[in-house]
Amino acid sequence: MKLTQGTFSFLPDLTDEQIGSQVEYCLDKGWAVAIEYTDDPHPRNSYWEMFGPPMFDIRDAAGVMTELRACRQTFPNHYIKVNAFDSTHGRESLRLSFIVGRPDKEPGFRLERQEGPGRTVHYTTHAYATDRPEGERY
Amino acid sequence: MGYTDIQSMSLWARRNDMILHLHRAGHSTYTRQKNHGVSFRVISKWMRLAGVDHIHAGTVVGKLEGDPNSVQGFYNVLREEHNAVDLQRGIFFDQDWAGLRGVMPVASGGIHAGQMHQLLHYLGEDVVLQFGGGTIGHPMGIAAGATANRVALEAMVLARNEGRDIWNEGPDILVNAARHCAPLRAALDVWGEITFNYESTDTPDFVPTSTAAA
Repeated sequence: MKLTQGTFSFLPDLTDEQIGSQVEYCLDKGWAVAIEYTDDPHPRNSYWEMFGPPMFDIRDAAGVMTELRACRQTFPNHYIKVNAFDSTHGRESLRLSFIVGRPDKEPGFRLERQEGPGRTVHYTTHAYATDRPEGERY
Repeated sequence: MGYTDIQSMSLWARRNDMILHLHRAGHSTYTRQKNHGVSFRVISKWMRLAGVDHIHAGTVVGKLEGDPNSVQGFYNVLREEHNAVDLQRGIFFDQDWAGLRGVMPVASGGIHAGQMHQLLHYLGEDVVLQFGGGTIGHPMGIAAGATANRVALEAMVLARNEGRDIWNEGPDILVNAARHCAPLRAALDVWGEITFNYESTDTPDFVPTSTAAA
């Protein structure tokens, strides 16, 4: 099951050239670009691990792409995403976030039901991969 | 409930983890009245102050027609941090919102995946694009309808960010995106040619006139 989180996840995986143009767009807008990775891609897990601090000073997409290659080399079987943060007053939040790396095999999620009081049912999703310890999941 | 209740509803919604969505059914009975009505940009400002989270504010291209400048005026009042004087869009005074939270505008009513380049062009990306019939009426089912809209949107944002001229190349971008997405192909086959090109019945409050100097 292809993980669909963030922008562009319904399109075919982006090529490095396409990723580069998106990074360029973000840098031109003055947003700070960061790279994050995880092997716990639950849709509610917004705390992925940072691959180094956000690159506040990088003004050239090539620098970000070098970091991305390094991240892929270190974590070839993790999910990797690029985030762009806009520090403008009134925004102070991510403006663009998209997946740029994913494991070869994505087993997906199962739906779990929990019986609540009064016969109510609570639903949650569970990633099959997270049954295994961190670092051995994909 | 009436307008006087909206602030209370906004407080209730925050206390109960709810989003306050405002559907403006019937608004044109007073927003189109020039002699004793209230312009929708006033309603927009008022609802931002009252703490509404989403509000239907027009689509320009859907079945509910609207003048592009007026609609953009509503959108800017709802979501910008600072509104500068912009007579054509109906903004007559500078307005600094001083950090007051924005309202997310909602575009709905007769919109479909084939108009994605126009929607992004007119409305920008801070907007809820609500495809009702354009999702549920999809020949392959509702899930396929949702996929078609999402793929169309992502393809268009990708192209815009790459610097392409989406206004002119939009239809080609969609056809290319549909090559890897059967639901989008089907959506374009059904709705691709449908447009609503009638003139707006809303008339702007300010129309620029050329002067000798200009």
